[in-house]
Amino acid sequence: MADGSGLPSEMSVIEDAERRGRTARWPFWRPAYAQGDPLPALTSQVSRPTYRFDEGEPLPHEYKELLIKMLRHEGERAGNKSFLGFMATCLDIAEALFPTAEAKLLKAEYLAEELKHAIMFHRIAVGLQHDFALRDVPYAHYAFHLPRETWADDAYFHFFVDLNGAFHARDWRESSYVPLAKMSATIERDELGHSEMGYHFLGEIVSEGRGRELARRLLLKWYPAALDMFGRSDSRNAPKFIQWGLKGVDNAEIRQAYKGYVDRKLVALGLEPPDERTNRRFL
Amino acid sequence: MGEIVEEIRQAYASVGITLDAPAAYGTYYRLLCAGCGRMVGNVGDRLLPGMAAALVAEQFDLYASGLLGCPCGHQSERVRQLDAPRWQAARQRFAG
Repeated sequence: MADGSGLPSEMSVIEDAERRGRTARWPFWRPAYAQGDPLPALTSQVSRPTYRFDEGEPLPHEYKELLIKMLRHEGERAGNKSFLGFMATCLDIAEALFPTAEAKLLKAEYLAEELKHAIMFHRIAVGLQHDFALRDVPYAHYAFHLPRETWADDAYFHFFVDLNGAFHARDWRESSYVPLAKMSATIERDELGHSEMGYHFLGEIVSEGRGRELARRLLLKWYPAALDMFGRSDSRNAPKFIQWGLKGVDNAEIRQAYKGYVDRKLVALGLEPPDERTNRRFL
Repeated sequence: MGEIVEEIRQAYASVGITLDAPAAYGTYYRLLCAGCGRMVGNVGDRLLPGMAAALVAEQFDLYASGLLGCPCGHQSERVRQLDAPRWQAARQRFAG
């Protein structure tokens, strides 16, 4: 696709690079979506607003504040030093702890795709508020800071944390902010794929006895963090996000849908989901 | 973040792991084996108060058995010094 100058647009160049990176394994979203929609429906309990805001249109003050708050949490922006730093930690982990050349290459594909997201969210940030584009926002949630001391930790990180991104992106499909709604399907698909990558690694890890025991123990660390990522069920901000059409479901609803999904996947690996209240910090 | 980093540093010191200098704009730290210097993982500085000590304590058996920690065995040896009977039990449980 050309942009009028006779040159291919930047996203079509990226898409072409992605196509050339496809292997029997990568991207992991392909087999997941080939069997139908892998994610549960997130049904809004209230009528969504009918208005839409596009880039460049004046935004109500509260709407803009909430949108920027949401994007601050999301974090994947090219101008966010802390996001780039977090990507560097992923490289460190892959170099130091990943067991095979194939696993390291898959992790490199993951990083490339996250950097694609960083470009996409950078465009949203620039369209929203110029100085936001370069704002450094360290990840605030403790799930992004849990120690990763083994390949299994990293597998859980991807399975759980990237899946959180997929669920939120699914909810953005009907976002009242048009640029976010437009990119939601790509983000959802990719993040689901990253989660499937983690799940694939977990499958390899639990295939032998010591790995299964390691996975069983580390699940106690990652499972509460994963559920905590959706925030408090009585969040005061959640109704505002829903009222403005920036979210469709509240924290408890999306957490419950997520829990159902991950529990089924864990059971399929022979792992028992922990009690959902144990070690939780944000109920 | 200084107090949390200090908590993390102390928790990991107890099992023979040191925090490297801050990486990634001060948010994350490499975990290095105190025995040989090899990187054994990383951790961020936004853990909640008390979390680092609890996580490391819960991983005692994993260090003991070698499921976590450096291939040089330093963490396993360190936790053996902390609690030899528990170390022995963990080794037997995770054998094979």
